[in-house]
Amino acid sequence: MAPQDRLNALSEGGTATLEVPPATEAGAPPVLVSVRDLCVSYGGHQVVSDVSFDLPRGHRLALIGESGSGKSTIARSLLRLLPAGVGKARGTIEVQGQDVLTLPERHFRPLRGRTIGFVPQDPASSLNPVRTIGSQAREASALLPGDLSKAQRHQAVVEVLQRVGLDDPERVLASYPHQLSGGMLQRVLIGFAVLPEPALLVADEPTSALDVTIQKRILDLLDELRDSLDISLLLITHDLAIAAERADSVVVLKDGRVQEAGPTARVSSAPTSDYAKRLHADVPALNPDRYADLRDVGAARRARASDEGPKIAVRGVSKTFTVDRSRLTAVDDLSFEVPAGTTHAIVGESGSGKTTTIRLLLGLETPDAGSIEVAGERVDGRTHGELRSLRRHLQFVYQNPFTSLDPTWKVERLVREPLDRFRIGTKDERRAAVREALDAVGLDQTLLARRPDALSGGQRQRVAIARALVLKPDVIVLDEPTSALDVSVQADIVQVLLTLQAELGLTYVFVSHDLALVRQLAHTVTVVRRGRVVEEGTVAQIFDAPREDYTRTLLDSIPDAHHGRTS
Amino acid sequence: MTDTRSRRLVSRPYLTYALQRVVQAAVVVLLAYCFTFLVISVLPGDPVSNTLRNPENNFTEDEIARIIGYYGLDQPIHVQLWESLTRFLRLDLGVSLRSNLPVSRAISEVIGSTVVLALSALVVAVVLAFGVAYGVRNLPTPLARPLRALPSLFLSVPNFVIGLLLINVFAFQLGLFFVTDSEGGTATFFAAVALGIPVSAQIAEVLIANLDHESRQEYASFATSRGLSRSRLFWRHLLKPSSLPVVTVIALTVGELLGGALITETIFGRTGIGSLVQRAVTTQDLPVLQAVVVLAAVTFVVVNLVVDLVYPLLDPRVDLRGATKRVRPVTEAVPA
Repeated sequence: MAPQDRLNALSEGGTATLEVPPATEAGAPPVLVSVRDLCVSYGGHQVVSDVSFDLPRGHRLALIGESGSGKSTIARSLLRLLPAGVGKARGTIEVQGQDVLTLPERHFRPLRGRTIGFVPQDPASSLNPVRTIGSQAREASALLPGDLSKAQRHQAVVEVLQRVGLDDPERVLASYPHQLSGGMLQRVLIGFAVLPEPALLVADEPTSALDVTIQKRILDLLDELRDSLDISLLLITHDLAIAAERADSVVVLKDGRVQEAGPTARVSSAPTSDYAKRLHADVPALNPDRYADLRDVGAARRARASDEGPKIAVRGVSKTFTVDRSRLTAVDDLSFEVPAGTTHAIVGESGSGKTTTIRLLLGLETPDAGSIEVAGERVDGRTHGELRSLRRHLQFVYQNPFTSLDPTWKVERLVREPLDRFRIGTKDERRAAVREALDAVGLDQTLLARRPDALSGGQRQRVAIARALVLKPDVIVLDEPTSALDVSVQADIVQVLLTLQAELGLTYVFVSHDLALVRQLAHTVTVVRRGRVVEEGTVAQIFDAPREDYTRTLLDSIPDAHHGRTS
Repeated sequence: MTDTRSRRLVSRPYLTYALQRVVQAAVVVLLAYCFTFLVISVLPGDPVSNTLRNPENNFTEDEIARIIGYYGLDQPIHVQLWESLTRFLRLDLGVSLRSNLPVSRAISEVIGSTVVLALSALVVAVVLAFGVAYGVRNLPTPLARPLRALPSLFLSVPNFVIGLLLINVFAFQLGLFFVTDSEGGTATFFAAVALGIPVSAQIAEVLIANLDHESRQEYASFATSRGLSRSRLFWRHLLKPSSLPVVTVIALTVGELLGGALITETIFGRTGIGSLVQRAVTTQDLPVLQAVVVLAAVTFVVVNLVVDLVYPLLDPRVDLRGATKRVRPVTEAVPA
């Protein structure tokens, strides 16, 4: 398509909010993907409306949005992977000048893999679970052009696996998918996708299921492949910080409509649309000090209470499990103290012993060595009955509000349950306590008669927090309480948690892998790895002056908007 | 770790598991034998007075005394059970009260016919089920949609109705086989169809549901995005994971095949375990009945044992070390 034609196409089809990436000057790369007035509906319900954008060859374009924004639907329309018979797409999607939507499958199939590669979201479910990776690699290598022998194809597969950073390709090929970690599987998927050297790689949240340090390495890999293989990248993400770091231009979507589009540098530094502004404000990595005022109420309290002794004291705690007759040390000599009214974050990746630490704190596991005190009372070594009395002071908010609430119960009963279990107050007092807890988390009384199905993710997590609050505990253990939620909902929940802490003087133990979020709300941090403490200190010490290499690796993995503009 | 497949086959957990399952199966068979014995013993009606002293049977007092002595019918019940059990372990199933011949001989005369019928029916069921499932997934919608309803239809029609229909159409109207020549190949085929159709419905329903489920998995999208054709996706990716649970379903249908075989044999006028049971029930021939019940139990246990032993070899995801003790995945080294 000649530049003039492209301009004409734009003036005819472009929408008012659309800004085209600066590809119009002389010598600009030709457009690889051109989407015009794309509308997609599922069974009559329109989820994408009038979306238009261009992806010039060699560029990296990010589609950003929260759940329901239609970003994955756009990607699936481009790949023609919409569910058959249900999903209907209108408009045009041109890839190398061919309209993807109207092309017969017979003509589109040769483009699959060879022109348009796809890296799916969840590496664990994206390979056939009952076939070895080798047998699926042979299939992928069938796409290679030319008349290659079996040995040549195998060699190509081995080379591509080495290229994506798998050191022992033969072992990987002999494995079944469940025998590899998520990061390795994502490398295999990327390897399969780039094997036929497609012109375009569509990556749908390629790192959202991975640990943060692995996330950084996968994104680095995608960047490296783009440069070395001349692949254009369409990156689908919910994370504005990742887009700001990794894309040349962005398209911000909400409810299937384009809110703002343009070069990354402009959109991430000076967003013009209301939605992009709000999204920008909600991303922890871009706003480390957003809640500083609220948080410092707790810090002030901490200074006052420093002579009282810590609210939580964990001293030399170890826990070993026996797996297959071999011993696995989940937690090894863990110690930390949390002053009353402050937030202590435990930061670590998978396998760091976070979950075991939570179970030990809650008295669900007994430590092999060491002691745990909450509000001056020993947690370890208690009987089941004695633990009950402790739990009035110590409550827990679970990671995923979509599975932690009984779907058959109404909100009123969910929040009231702890009161019923502990036989606290009269019936009227319990009703009043439930309403008070709902008020505290900012939920309307009209939701009392709803079941979890009729609530949004953010509302559900508020119900879970209200349920923890209703016993008036002084310590709440929070296990990644926002990791299942959208970033704007996460901001709401963080606001609720910090307000409650400032008002009620609650002490939080906040377990997370998300360092940017930890920086926003915690006072003190313990970094754990493989069950051991790597480093501990105040947020300022850990984030501004890390002493350990591992901490620095974790900090490096926080997306940094400035990184993208320099490359 | 270089060749995971061969490591799995000879692995210690598998041998431990196999041994456990074999011992369990043996215990189940023995318990089934004891249970049948006790149930038959407490049933009203004394075999001695009912059968031996029945004037029609013409036993002499000597013969009656010999039979009572052989079965230990004058002994207390736990002694009888012990005697019976030790005979069973020596594979001696006793003597038929009606024909005065060893029960094992009565059974071995007819069992071949029943086994042929049940196995042919199983083949018919599996072929039919996979055919229906293939059609549902690969034919154009106007044909696939009615095909989807077929298993429920098969399931809701009793097999004797299907049998009678088949006889009416293929024997009487088309003359493809003679009802009198019930053991011939064509007759056996139609009997197997009558028996296999309801069984195929169960297999097809599981298979179709699994295919639908697997086709919605992310790996199906990923394979399609790499340019695989629809049929290649079906054969190379969807079929195996969808078929694995079918192995378990087949084991569960053994009971149905056995029960159905007795009815089908009656309708098609075949000699087999069905006719043997029918005669044994009407004449209260308890040793034969007990032997058939135990035979059914053994068949059921053996088939399930085979499935349990084969399944871990077919599905690489099955971890014999127990669900709570997962193998930790190989993790990527993070440079510190």
